[in-house]
Order: sequence, then structure tokens, then C-alpha cells
Amino acid sequence: MTEKESMKEDAEQINVKRIKIADSDLREAVRERTDGEDPIAVPEDGRNPGGKKADMREVLDLAMNMGRVLLKNGAEIFRVEETIEHVCRRFDIADVESFVMSNGIFMTARDEEEEVYAKVKHIPISGFHLGIVTEVNDLSREISAGNVSLAEAKERLRRIEAMPPKRGRFRVFAAGIGSGCFCYLLQANLWESMMAVVIGCLLYVFVIFGENHRLSKIIINIVGGGFITIMALLALQLPWPFPVRMDKLIIGSILPLVPGLAFVNSIRDIANSDFISGIVRIVDALLVFVYIAIGVGFVLGCFNKLTGGVML
Amino acid sequence: MTGFVLVNMFCSFLGTIAFSVLFNVPRRFYLCCGLTGMAGWLCYLASENIASVSTSTFLGTMLVVLMSRMLAVWMKCPITVFLVPGIFPLIPGAGVYYTVYNLVQGNLAEAAGRGIEALKIAFAIVLGIVFIVTIPKQWFRVSYWRRRLRGASENSDL
Repeated sequence: MTEKESMKEDAEQINVKRIKIADSDLREAVRERTDGEDPIAVPEDGRNPGGKKADMREVLDLAMNMGRVLLKNGAEIFRVEETIEHVCRRFDIADVESFVMSNGIFMTARDEEEEVYAKVKHIPISGFHLGIVTEVNDLSREISAGNVSLAEAKERLRRIEAMPPKRGRFRVFAAGIGSGCFCYLLQANLWESMMAVVIGCLLYVFVIFGENHRLSKIIINIVGGGFITIMALLALQLPWPFPVRMDKLIIGSILPLVPGLAFVNSIRDIANSDFISGIVRIVDALLVFVYIAIGVGFVLGCFNKLTGGVML
Repeated sequence: MTGFVLVNMFCSFLGTIAFSVLFNVPRRFYLCCGLTGMAGWLCYLASENIASVSTSTFLGTMLVVLMSRMLAVWMKCPITVFLVPGIFPLIPGAGVYYTVYNLVQGNLAEAAGRGIEALKIAFAIVLGIVFIVTIPKQWFRVSYWRRRLRGASENSDL
């Protein structure tokens, strides 16, 4: 038994050593690669005539991909434009034009003689992940400081994009806590806040279910709003030993559905004079408000009819 | 009174952190997100006694945006990370709910009043964000002011 353990330990130590050696080798290689001239510059121009152009394409692909990842995960328009510009300037591509909208990037570039690159990328509006935005921002900062080579940047971008969102149960718990806290801030009492915690958790279980099954945002918000109202009405029917107000419950637990990021981003786009994207995003945010209102209003109306006009 | 303020501080802090979890903000920013939200809500509460709801929302939003811009420069990350969760306590969810409620009830005048109130608050948030966002970027860097001050003193010496 003890022999086995010691053998295991030895093996582990050897492994650790190997990893360390590999790590230092890699670092050496990177240093060699970046210490010399510009990482994308091709030394023998005569032997490799198409090399420069191919390298340019790779840089521009990287810039485009970074822009795509940023835009998809909820960055502002000017941040995407700046990132593309920084990456291109770092790798000595002077003549680049990019046009970024809320759901697409258009990009062209040319060298001294001719156009080398033109690409249009459609990016549908989808879920937001601010962690990825932060990481890509850091990457772009490091690229423009000159610490990262092209291959390395590609690899890191691939890894960043694969970053998963926070685990489902954390998000459910967070939605509950958020609902409860804000319910309390809006002058609810302790018991109502507790109920808002429960309703918020249940709501987010549904939202995550909808995201996993790719339900449209319209359905998620309408059904979510209706679900909250049903839960609040049910909570009202139970014989609690303390007073419960339905409005506080609904206002608290509605907050996880509210499109805060789209709203703030649209305002910032408009403030930066990116009017087209700003208007698209603000319409997106306002429509989500309308969907929630439809859900809540529908259930309230039905309840009103069922109870013969006696509202609570 | 102290208890009331303490509970409000705690709730806005925790609630803001909860919403930053929902937006997948990296863990190292949680504390600053919470502080931003708390500061905005306290500013709102303090000014609510002497001003209208929309004015106090405007002041609260200004503080949130100012803090998030400073934190963004200090921690070298996008401003969105602090701005979005920090603004959540000020969003007029209640106004939207009461509008819908009164619409369903058939109290159209009340619904219009509530709706316009919510719109006013939303515009207060918009104005608050726009005012601070349009401040030039370099004003938030310490090196800029150091250079300015040094430059000014050199000029006066000449």
C-alpha cells in the first residue's frame, strides 16, 4: 500500500517537472518569436510572395473575430470599432475601414496595391456575457501593448469564447436574492421579500429552461411575466398570518427579466452618436418591457374576469 | 433611522451583486459592483426627501455612472461591468407595473399618470448616463491631471 502511494507520488512529481519544463520551453519559444521582428513579418519576401498577404488576412480575421465575440456578448459599438483598430494598428495594417452595427460588422482593408480583404459578418442579438467582454478587452489591451503574438492571440480568443456562463444554480439563486433585495428596497416587508426570493428563483428556473431550449425572447418574457403574476396571485390566496401585497411581490420578482444591459448599451450608443445601433437596441429593450407587461396584464385581466371584477 | 439606512445599504449591495452574477461579471469585480449600486441607491434615498423622484433618480444615476467610470479606469475593464448592475435599483419597474395594472383595471387616467411618471424616470436615467459619459476620457486618468498641473506651473514660471 505504502509502496504504491510513494510510487504515485513519484509519478506525480515527474509529471509536474515535465509540465514545468514544457512551460518554460513554450515561454522561450514565444520570447524568441516575439523578440525578433514583428511576428507577422515574413523574412524572405522573394521565396514567399503570397506570404505577406496571407498574414494580413489572418490578422484581419483575428480582428473580425474579436469584434464578433465582443458584439455578441454585449459590448458597445465604439468598443468593437476601437478593438478592431487597435489590433490592426499593432500588426501594421494601416488602411482598414470597419463599420459596426448592432447585428453586423463590415470590414475592408487594402495594402499598397489592391484590396486584400472584405468581409461582412452577421451577428444575431443573443445572450450577454460580460465576463467574455472583459477578457477580450484585456486581450486587446495586451495586443496593442505588443505582448502577444498572432498565434497566441488566436488561441486565447478561442479559449475565451468557450468560457461557459455561470452555473445554472448560481444564477437561479442570484435571481432570487436580487428579487428579494430589490423588493425590500421598494418598501416591502420582510415576508414579502422572502416570497419574492422564492418567486424570483422559480422564474429563473423557467428562464434558463427557455434559454436551453432556444425559446424566443418574446415567449420567455411574456410567459415569465404571466408566471410571476400567477405565483403572486397564488401566494395571495394562502392564509398567511401577515399582510401580503401583490404589487410589491410582482415588482420585486419582475426585475430579473428587465433588459438592463440592452437599455444601458442603447443609451451609450446614442450618446456616442451611433444612432442606428442605439435605436435598434432601445427598441429591443422597450419591446421586452412591453412583453413583460403583456404577460402580467393578460393574467391580471383573466383573474379580473374570473372573480367578477373584484381586483385585489 | 440608522437601522433603516443600514438595511437599505445591505440590500442594495447584495441585490446589485446578485444582478452582476446574472450578467456573468467576473468574480473579482463583485465588490466594486456592489459598492456602485449601494452608492447610487443611497444618493437616491438622500435626495428623495428634498426633490422629486425623477430628480433624485437623475442624481443617483449620475453618481453610479461617475463611480463606474472611475472604477473602469482604475481596474482597466469595460465600464459596462459596473454600470449595468449599478443602475438596476433605479430602474422604474414599479412604474411599469402600476401602468399595466391600471390599464387592466380600466383606470386610464391613473394608468397614463403612472406611465408618464415611469417615462420621466427613464429619461432621468438617460440624461444621467449621457451627462457623465460625454466627459472626455482622459479626465479620468491621474497622469493627465498630473501633466496638466505640471504644465501649468511650468507656464507660470515662464
